[in-house]
Amino acid sequence: MATQIVMDRTGDSRLFFEQDDRKQLAEAEERFKKLTGQGFTAATRTAAGDLNVVRTFDPTVEETLFYPRLVGG
Amino acid sequence: MFLFRGGGVGSRAASLRAVRAFYRSFAKQNDPETRAFRLLREWLSPEQRAQFDAEDHFEVIGSHTGRRYRIHRGTVSNVLELDEEGQPKFGWCFLPESALAAGDVMLAQKIALETDEAAVLAIANRVSTRPPSRPRVVRRAY
Repeated sequence: MATQIVMDRTGDSRLFFEQDDRKQLAEAEERFKKLTGQGFTAATRTAAGDLNVVRTFDPTVEETLFYPRLVGG
Repeated sequence: MFLFRGGGVGSRAASLRAVRAFYRSFAKQNDPETRAFRLLREWLSPEQRAQFDAEDHFEVIGSHTGRRYRIHRGTVSNVLELDEEGQPKFGWCFLPESALAAGDVMLAQKIALETDEAAVLAIANRVSTRPPSRPRVVRRAY
Protein backbone atom coordinates (compact mmCIF):
# COMPACT_ATOMS: atom_id res chain seq x y z
CA MET A 1 0.00 0.00 0.00
CA ALA A 2 1.35 3.43 -0.96
CA THR A 3 0.90 6.65 1.00
CA GLN A 4 0.57 10.33 0.20
CA ILE A 5 1.32 12.45 3.26
CA VAL A 6 0.10 16.04 3.18
CA MET A 7 1.29 18.52 5.81
CA ASP A 8 -1.58 20.49 7.29
CA ARG A 9 -2.72 22.19 10.51
CA THR A 10 -3.45 18.82 12.13
CA GLY A 11 0.18 17.76 11.62
CA ASP A 12 -0.44 15.72 8.49
CA SER A 13 -3.12 13.84 6.61
CA ARG A 14 -2.34 10.43 5.15
CA LEU A 15 -4.02 9.06 2.05
CA PHE A 16 -3.49 5.40 1.29
CA PHE A 17 -3.95 3.66 -2.05
CA GLU A 18 -3.27 0.30 -3.65
CA GLN A 19 -0.73 0.64 -6.45
CA ASP A 20 -2.26 -2.24 -8.43
CA ASP A 21 -5.77 -0.75 -8.33
CA ARG A 22 -6.23 1.41 -11.44
CA LYS A 23 -9.04 3.51 -9.95
CA GLN A 24 -7.13 4.29 -6.74
CA LEU A 25 -3.99 4.99 -8.76
CA ALA A 26 -5.85 7.46 -10.98
CA GLU A 27 -7.22 9.20 -7.86
CA ALA A 28 -3.72 9.39 -6.38
CA GLU A 29 -2.37 10.89 -9.60
CA GLU A 30 -5.20 13.40 -9.66
CA ARG A 31 -4.43 14.34 -6.03
CA PHE A 32 -0.73 14.72 -6.91
CA LYS A 33 -1.56 17.10 -9.77
CA LYS A 34 -4.02 19.08 -7.64
CA LEU A 35 -1.60 19.55 -4.74
CA THR A 36 1.43 20.44 -6.88
CA GLY A 37 -0.83 22.79 -8.87
CA GLN A 38 -1.68 24.54 -5.59
CA GLY A 39 2.03 25.10 -4.92
CA PHE A 40 2.81 22.08 -2.75
CA THR A 41 6.22 20.46 -3.20
CA ALA A 42 6.24 16.67 -3.53
CA ALA A 43 9.20 14.85 -1.98
CA THR A 44 10.14 11.19 -1.91
CA ARG A 45 12.96 9.27 -0.27
CA THR A 46 14.88 6.19 -1.26
CA ALA A 47 15.44 3.19 0.99
CA ALA A 48 18.90 4.63 1.73
CA GLY A 49 17.24 7.85 2.93
CA ASP A 50 18.16 10.10 -0.02
CA LEU A 51 15.55 12.77 -0.67
CA ASN A 52 14.19 13.78 -4.05
CA VAL A 53 11.75 16.44 -5.14
CA VAL A 54 9.48 15.07 -7.84
CA ARG A 55 7.50 17.05 -10.42
CA THR A 56 5.49 14.22 -11.95
CA PHE A 57 3.49 11.37 -10.45
CA ASP A 58 5.38 8.07 -10.23
CA PRO A 59 3.02 5.11 -9.61
CA THR A 60 5.86 2.99 -8.22
CA VAL A 61 6.72 5.35 -5.34
CA GLU A 62 5.63 4.01 -1.94
CA GLU A 63 5.59 7.29 -0.02
CA THR A 64 5.25 10.90 -1.15
CA LEU A 65 5.30 13.87 1.20
CA PHE A 66 3.70 17.17 0.24
CA TYR A 67 4.55 20.46 1.93
CA PRO A 68 3.17 23.93 1.17
CA ARG A 69 5.06 26.53 -0.87
CA LEU A 70 7.96 28.12 1.03
CA VAL A 71 8.16 31.87 1.53
CA GLY A 72 10.71 34.21 3.09
CA GLY A 73 9.97 34.96 6.71
CA MET B 1 -21.92 -0.13 31.21
CA PHE B 2 -19.40 -2.88 31.94
CA LEU B 3 -16.83 -0.35 33.12
CA PHE B 4 -19.01 0.75 36.03
CA ARG B 5 -20.60 -2.59 36.96
CA GLY B 6 -20.23 -4.08 40.42
CA GLY B 7 -18.52 -1.23 42.20
CA GLY B 8 -19.41 1.53 44.55
CA VAL B 9 -19.02 5.26 44.13
CA GLY B 10 -15.26 5.08 44.76
CA SER B 11 -14.73 2.45 42.11
CA ARG B 12 -16.86 4.42 39.62
CA ALA B 13 -14.79 7.56 40.27
CA ALA B 14 -11.60 5.59 39.74
CA SER B 15 -12.94 4.28 36.44
CA LEU B 16 -13.83 7.80 35.31
CA ARG B 17 -10.36 9.01 36.24
CA ALA B 18 -8.85 6.17 34.20
CA VAL B 19 -11.00 7.04 31.19
CA ARG B 20 -10.05 10.71 31.49
CA ALA B 21 -6.35 9.86 31.77
CA PHE B 22 -6.61 7.60 28.72
CA TYR B 23 -8.37 10.32 26.73
CA ARG B 24 -5.77 12.95 27.72
CA SER B 25 -2.93 10.62 26.77
CA PHE B 26 -4.57 9.82 23.41
CA ALA B 27 -5.17 13.51 22.69
CA LYS B 28 -1.57 14.38 23.61
CA GLN B 29 -0.17 11.68 21.31
CA ASN B 30 -2.24 13.00 18.42
CA ASP B 31 -2.01 16.77 18.74
CA PRO B 32 -0.49 18.61 15.72
CA GLU B 33 2.86 19.31 17.45
CA THR B 34 3.38 15.67 18.44
CA ARG B 35 2.29 14.34 15.04
CA ALA B 36 4.58 16.79 13.23
CA PHE B 37 7.62 15.85 15.33
CA ARG B 38 6.82 12.17 14.76
CA LEU B 39 6.79 12.78 10.99
CA LEU B 40 10.02 14.78 11.21
CA ARG B 41 11.76 11.97 13.09
CA GLU B 42 10.60 9.46 10.45
CA TRP B 43 12.26 11.53 7.70
CA LEU B 44 15.51 12.43 9.48
CA SER B 45 18.60 10.36 8.73
CA PRO B 46 19.80 8.23 11.67
CA GLU B 47 22.61 10.75 12.36
CA GLN B 48 20.23 13.71 12.25
CA ARG B 49 17.77 11.89 14.53
CA ALA B 50 20.48 11.17 17.08
CA GLN B 51 21.67 14.79 16.96
CA PHE B 52 18.11 16.11 17.31
CA ASP B 53 17.43 13.84 20.30
CA ALA B 54 20.65 14.90 22.00
CA GLU B 55 20.84 18.61 21.13
CA ASP B 56 17.34 19.67 20.02
CA HIS B 57 18.65 20.66 16.57
CA PHE B 58 20.10 18.86 13.55
CA GLU B 59 22.39 19.72 10.66
CA VAL B 60 21.84 19.41 6.93
CA ILE B 61 24.14 19.83 3.92
CA GLY B 62 23.07 22.26 1.20
CA SER B 63 22.49 20.50 -2.13
CA HIS B 64 24.35 23.05 -4.28
CA THR B 65 27.15 24.52 -2.16
CA GLY B 66 27.79 21.75 0.35
CA ARG B 67 27.46 24.33 3.15
CA ARG B 68 26.22 23.16 6.54
CA TYR B 69 23.04 24.47 8.10
CA ARG B 70 21.70 23.90 11.57
CA ILE B 71 17.93 23.67 11.96
CA HIS B 72 16.73 24.50 15.45
CA ARG B 73 13.38 23.61 16.97
CA GLY B 74 11.04 26.42 15.96
CA THR B 75 9.29 28.00 13.02
CA VAL B 76 10.87 31.44 12.48
CA SER B 77 14.55 32.39 11.96
CA ASN B 78 15.50 28.91 13.18
CA VAL B 79 17.96 28.01 10.39
CA LEU B 80 21.62 28.94 10.91
CA GLU B 81 24.32 28.72 8.27
CA LEU B 82 27.56 27.43 9.80
CA ASP B 83 31.17 28.29 8.94
CA GLU B 84 34.03 25.81 8.58
CA GLU B 85 34.43 25.66 12.38
CA GLY B 86 30.75 24.91 12.86
CA GLN B 87 30.03 28.37 14.23
CA PRO B 88 26.91 30.26 13.11
CA LYS B 89 27.64 32.79 10.33
CA PHE B 90 24.13 34.08 9.88
CA GLY B 91 20.55 32.94 10.01
CA TRP B 92 18.01 32.29 7.27
CA CYS B 93 14.29 32.78 7.57
CA PHE B 94 11.94 30.82 5.33
CA LEU B 95 8.89 28.72 6.13
CA PRO B 96 5.78 27.19 4.54
CA GLU B 97 3.13 29.75 3.64
CA SER B 98 0.45 27.89 5.66
CA ALA B 99 0.58 27.83 9.45
CA LEU B 100 2.09 24.47 10.42
CA ALA B 101 3.44 22.86 13.57
CA ALA B 102 7.18 23.27 14.24
CA GLY B 103 8.09 19.71 13.25
CA ASP B 104 6.47 20.16 9.83
CA VAL B 105 8.21 23.51 9.29
CA MET B 106 11.59 21.99 10.19
CA LEU B 107 11.02 19.03 7.86
CA ALA B 108 10.09 21.31 4.94
CA GLN B 109 13.24 23.39 5.63
CA LYS B 110 15.41 20.25 5.69
CA ILE B 111 14.02 18.90 2.41
CA ALA B 112 14.33 22.27 0.68
CA LEU B 113 17.99 22.75 1.70
CA GLU B 114 18.94 19.16 0.86
CA THR B 115 17.25 19.13 -2.55
CA ASP B 116 17.09 22.70 -3.88
CA GLU B 117 19.30 24.94 -1.75
CA ALA B 118 19.73 27.70 -4.36
CA ALA B 119 15.99 28.12 -4.91
CA VAL B 120 15.16 28.28 -1.21
CA LEU B 121 17.94 30.76 -0.41
CA ALA B 122 16.66 32.94 -3.25
CA ILE B 123 13.37 33.44 -1.40
CA ALA B 124 14.75 33.31 2.17
CA ASN B 125 15.63 36.38 4.22
CA ARG B 126 19.04 36.58 5.86
CA VAL B 127 18.94 37.44 9.54
CA SER B 128 21.45 38.12 12.27
CA THR B 129 22.59 35.28 14.50
CA ARG B 130 22.74 37.60 17.48
CA PRO B 131 19.99 37.11 20.03
CA PRO B 132 17.30 39.77 19.82
CA SER B 133 18.17 42.80 21.91
CA ARG B 134 16.10 43.56 24.96
CA PRO B 135 13.71 46.47 24.60
CA ARG B 136 15.24 49.60 26.05
CA VAL B 137 13.66 51.02 29.14
CA VAL B 138 12.13 54.33 28.25
CA ARG B 139 11.80 56.69 31.15
CA ARG B 140 8.75 58.78 30.91
CA ALA B 141 9.15 62.43 31.77
CA TYR B 142 6.47 63.71 34.06
